Order: sequence, then structure tokens, then C-alpha cells
Amino acid sequence: MAETVEPQVVPGSVEVEESKSKSGLEPGYLVICWNDPVNFMQYVTHVFQRVFGWNREKAEFHMLQVHEQGKSALTRESFEKAEHYVHQLQHYSLHATMERED
Amino acid sequence: MFVLTRREQAQLLNVLQLYPRIPPAHYRLSKSGRLPEPEESQKLLDEALAEVRASNRKTLQAFLSEPTRFTASAKTLQFTLSETEAEWLLQVLNDVRVGSWVSAGSPENFLAALNEKTTADIWAMEIAGYFEAHLLDALSNS
Repeated sequence: MAETVEPQVVPGSVEVEESKSKSGLEPGYLVICWNDPVNFMQYVTHVFQRVFGWNREKAEFHMLQVHEQGKSALTRESFEKAEHYVHQLQHYSLHATMERED
Repeated sequence: MFVLTRREQAQLLNVLQLYPRIPPAHYRLSKSGRLPEPEESQKLLDEALAEVRASNRKTLQAFLSEPTRFTASAKTLQFTLSETEAEWLLQVLNDVRVGSWVSAGSPENFLAALNEKTTADIWAMEIAGYFEAHLLDALSNS
């Protein structure tokens, strides 16, 4: 990501949320955002806030994970909800995918 | 409301004319492909993105043709848009930025990739980014 801001983040204060599945046997899908050098850090934070309704601190935590570790698992969801989130993130031109959790 | 010079207005209109810039079917729904009916799901994503871009293209034309969008005052122009419109324009500009980056060969280092073939792409990428930064600042203060 292109560097534009230096946000203040408290690591370890944020956890990946997951929705309750109807059955414990249903596979979960991780919504993953991947790093690229073109999307501004401020933009990625903004998109996470808009798409997931997160506060700034949580959005910046995941943005920094993407920037520093190459990717961030944003949430674990059912297939339909994960697909919905990937569509939303890609409407904003972020590099996001959904991956089945083993 | 933003205050633009006439040159900034011309640059904004130039980059917006490039929309949509990201190639169709550029994005994948999954890297691993371990999804139920992966081809059908990918097709659904491609169709959804194509639909959004077609709709945005129409909205963009209407948006720019509104007579009150740009109003002149002395040497500058006032560019008026609502918060919802700013959020939408941010998506449009980022499509141009990312699509221009893809067209330039997805370089890690933009300046190192600058040559005769990539100049127009990198110019569009930087101009779109310039306006995005202003929109992000305005949205974060709203």
C-alpha cells in the first residue's frame, strides 16, 4: 500500500469476529485482504470502516496487518456473507478474496 | 465543497473520463478456488462488478453534467458534492488509480516503472490519487 499516514494502533486489542453458523458442520470462509502497493493506507482504513462498520482503531489494525504481513483475515463467515463482503471490498478496488478455512 | 483551479478541474475531468479502468474479470473471488461451484461464483462476481461499473458510468455522466456541479468565482471553481457523492466518487477514482496501475504492469516502484509506455498510466494513477487524498481528508472530517 502507498504510505500516507502513520496511525496509532494498540496491537492485540482486536480480534477477528465470526458470525454464528446454523450448524457447527458448516465450513467457515475467511475474508482476506491482500497487500498491494497502489491503495493508500488511509483509503484501506476508510473502506474497512465503511464495509464492516468498524471503528477507526480496528480498521487501522487490519490495514497495518495487510501492509506489514502481506494480508489480513478480516472476518470468518458463512459462504454467503463472505461472498457479500468480498464483493463489497472489490467494489472499492481492494484485493480481497475468500478462502475456505480448514 | 472543494475549491479547484481551472487546471485542477481539467485534470479531474480527464481522469474521470478513463472510468472504468480496471479490466473486466480482473479480480478473483478466491485464490485457492476451494469454493462450492467456484466457476459459478466467479461468474456472479464478474457480473456484479460489471453491473456496478455500468451504473457508475451512467451516474458519472449525469453527475458531471449538473450545471451547479462547478460554479465559477474569480480565478477558482467551487466543486460541490454531498457526502454520499464523495464516497461514490472515491470508489470511481480508485478504480482509475488501480486500473492505471494494472495497465502500467502493476509495478512495485512507480517511479522506476516510468517510461514512454507507462507515462500516461502513471500520470492517471497519481492524479486520481491526488483527488482521492482530498476526498479522504474531507470524509474523515465530516
